[in-house]
Amino acid sequence: MFGTTEMQINMGPQHPSTHGVLRLELKLDGERIVDTRPVIGYLHRGCEKLGEDRTYAQAIVYTDRMDYCAAFAENLVYAEAVERLLGVEVPPRAQYMRVVLAELQRIASHLIWLGTHAMDIGALTVFVYGMREREFILDLFESYCGARLTYNAVRVGGMPEEFPEGWVEEARRFCDVLPSRLDEYHQLLTANRIWLARTRGVGTIDGKTALDWGMTGPCLRGSGVAYDVRKAIPYEAYADLDFDVPIGEAGDTYDRYLCRMEEIRQSRRIVLQALDKLPGGEIRGKVPRRIKPPKGEVYHVNEGPRGELGVYLVSDGSEHAYRCRFRSPNFVNLQALPDMVRGHLVADVVAVIGTLDIVLGCVDR
Amino acid sequence: MSETLLRFVVVPVAQIAVVIAALLLIVVYLVLLERKINAFMQVRLGPRRVGWHGLLQTVADVIKLFTKEDITPRHVDRLVFLLAPVVIILPALAAFAVIPFSGGSFRVGSVGVRAWISDVNVGLLYLLAITSLGVFGVVMAGWSSNSKYPMLGGLRSAAQMVSYEVPLGLSVVSILMLAGTASLVGIVQAQESAGRWFLFWTPYPQILGLFLYFVSGVAETNRLPFDLPEAENELVAGFHTEYSGMKFAFFFLAEYINMVLVGCLVAVLFFGGWLPVTFGIPGLREPLSNFFPFWGGAGAMLTGFFWFGLKVFLVLFLYLWMRATYPRYRYDQLMRLGWKVFIPLGLGHVMVTALAILVRRG
Amino acid sequence: MSKIVRPEDSVLRRFLLLELFAGLWVTLKHQFRPHVTQEYPRERPELRPRFRGVPRLRDHPGAEGPLCVACNQCALACPDHCITVVAEDRKGGKGKQPKSFHIDYERCCHCGLCVDACPTKPITAIYMSHDYEMAQYARDDFMTDLRGLYEGHVPREYKR
Ligand code: SF4
Ligand code: SF4
Repeated sequence: MFGTTEMQINMGPQHPSTHGVLRLELKLDGERIVDTRPVIGYLHRGCEKLGEDRTYAQAIVYTDRMDYCAAFAENLVYAEAVERLLGVEVPPRAQYMRVVLAELQRIASHLIWLGTHAMDIGALTVFVYGMREREFILDLFESYCGARLTYNAVRVGGMPEEFPEGWVEEARRFCDVLPSRLDEYHQLLTANRIWLARTRGVGTIDGKTALDWGMTGPCLRGSGVAYDVRKAIPYEAYADLDFDVPIGEAGDTYDRYLCRMEEIRQSRRIVLQALDKLPGGEIRGKVPRRIKPPKGEVYHVNEGPRGELGVYLVSDGSEHAYRCRFRSPNFVNLQALPDMVRGHLVADVVAVIGTLDIVLGCVDR
Repeated sequence: MSETLLRFVVVPVAQIAVVIAALLLIVVYLVLLERKINAFMQVRLGPRRVGWHGLLQTVADVIKLFTKEDITPRHVDRLVFLLAPVVIILPALAAFAVIPFSGGSFRVGSVGVRAWISDVNVGLLYLLAITSLGVFGVVMAGWSSNSKYPMLGGLRSAAQMVSYEVPLGLSVVSILMLAGTASLVGIVQAQESAGRWFLFWTPYPQILGLFLYFVSGVAETNRLPFDLPEAENELVAGFHTEYSGMKFAFFFLAEYINMVLVGCLVAVLFFGGWLPVTFGIPGLREPLSNFFPFWGGAGAMLTGFFWFGLKVFLVLFLYLWMRATYPRYRYDQLMRLGWKVFIPLGLGHVMVTALAILVRRG
Repeated sequence: MSKIVRPEDSVLRRFLLLELFAGLWVTLKHQFRPHVTQEYPRERPELRPRFRGVPRLRDHPGAEGPLCVACNQCALACPDHCITVVAEDRKGGKGKQPKSFHIDYERCCHCGLCVDACPTKPITAIYMSHDYEMAQYARDDFMTDLRGLYEGHVPREYKR
């Protein structure tokens, strides 16, 4: 006589913890999730189309707006792709500067992830601590390029400006404080039984499935697959720098958490090494004022904080790209969400969204 | 004025008025305290604009909430929807009828005035009964909202409150056995005559009992790390998502009043109520239980308020401190914790206490 | 490649809730640390020299006439097409000067490409100012003309 029916519930796009405007259609059996359907596109601004309408230099500005938590990584990958089209060599100093900034950006992005992820699970304070450390990095970026979020801090062929006076020392100071702050996060979360209960065994995905979905970045490495573009296809100065790529085993939220936390440490290591090795010399390669790459196409990837960022450019020899397409790691990682939450509870959806670390600006572009 | 009128009408009404007024004031500042403590722990400053260092912030918030348009969504079950905030706040307030806030007494005419509204000999039972009424309000709110998130919140909350009632009751049972009375005044007096709080009762200190009581209390009042019914990151705002303005204020108020209630009960049951903190030195007892000896009983009452308030404050501080520190449990984990850990622990605790009483009697 | 380090776990640790107390200790410590936030309108943020606020125009302190030569380079470089320059002959000299110069702040994304493009180096006629409070009551108010670009943004009083 009494049957149960599945309840359909809409999570988002105005939900406090869908990290922007993600909408999830959940099918629930009680609190258990039967099915999920992510609905995206609420933040579509046509970055790719704009990239075909603007000149190569102008399009960098639009890459800022895709993954606004890691704008520098997007700037970088686009500029690198154009450089490959043009065939210009980036001077070594610019390469090292790019590494320093990219790794600082990675730390900043991971700090946002940590804060929001922890806040979704209820730890309010970690969010503020994460933001506090990120503030350092934003200040560094502000004093380097003048902007705090959407940097536009890469030019095709090099870097727009030198590090200002005292910048290197400030960056070193930041690297000095960071470890003690990281220890505090670990004290608050890592061994905490509530945190363990909420993250262990939640959103598990094994290495093979993750690869099949095309996941990259910490989400893939948490499942034990050691793939990092910085090691696999070294770009910029990464080949000369010494760092580890942490990988997990279980592929659950907890392992991804530990991976990212360790990545912050490794990024700090890279920053310090790159600052030590920083060579002198030019910062802009020889690039004509009007960038007109020869006919051809290029697909270029680098390792963004959230995974493999790719740019596909087709040039028809004019000032604008004929086709511009971005491979967004967020978009690809998000695909695995229904698989990861099936059979879990509503609360786990929030944890999994947090651990995927999606930025909707980059998903929708 | 006849003595009967004074004794049975004027004094109780005055007492009730004082308690409710004080409670509202305390809640207002508890909210501020919560925001401030959270802010300081998060290296922020907290509210600072309204009044000196934000002292009037909550007052402003209350005024805002009360003058806001009172919205009742169209799809709700009107009667139940309106009733729910009332149902939730009444038991919360009624529970304070039996809390002894302090010892001592003074006389108004021929009538002695004590620092509690009434001393019922089944006080503890009354409390357990009336606090569990609160859950009806939550369920009613969740159900009548006729909306999905509130319903999930309401159901979670019902399950949670009902489950944690049991360990809560169990930890109270051992206090009952120690004191030999269910009157809250009697419990404090038992601690007074024993010369030590039940927390440090020999041969079996009630530390486990305190832990059980406090954690279950946190779960009962739906605070972090057990704030699932209103887990804002999952359920937006849980059972009161559809409420706004004054009705929302009622839920808010009830939550904080319940927090104060748990604080008061922890103080009464485990920390000896209004008894002074003597660090086990008997000589300190006399001077510390009355700071104003020249006022006699009234002085003792004032001093009792101080000690009682201090203990309640510490408990509440722990509440807020935990909120700033911990993540939140998941619904099924909370249930598992309640049924598989706390209830067995509570049962064991009662048995050990019984054994300890036997040992003590010899 | 390296494996991640997991925290050590022992029965005693678990039973005595040690890690929970460690967490409490961290937050308690922070209770006594100085705050890191700013009370914004009362406390102004300290801007770095290179801060990119809205672009504005400036003149060379010593020189006569406007520094801008109305070459339209900035308008071409701007990815949002928010600059409009109309040129006229320079008064008392050769070359050009702007007759009107408009920047639509509503569309400007503070990218700084216009400054890069400006030929009047090393002091560029257009520069990234430190103004950042650009809220307006009406969309039209974002369109800023020569005067506004020189004198900076003047907040307008709101009238109903
Ligand atoms: S800052 Fe960028 S968007 Fe703004 S006017 Fe200059 S070029 Fe255009
Ligand atoms: S501001 Fe600079 S780039 Fe723009 S028109 Fe004037 S001189 Fe040319």
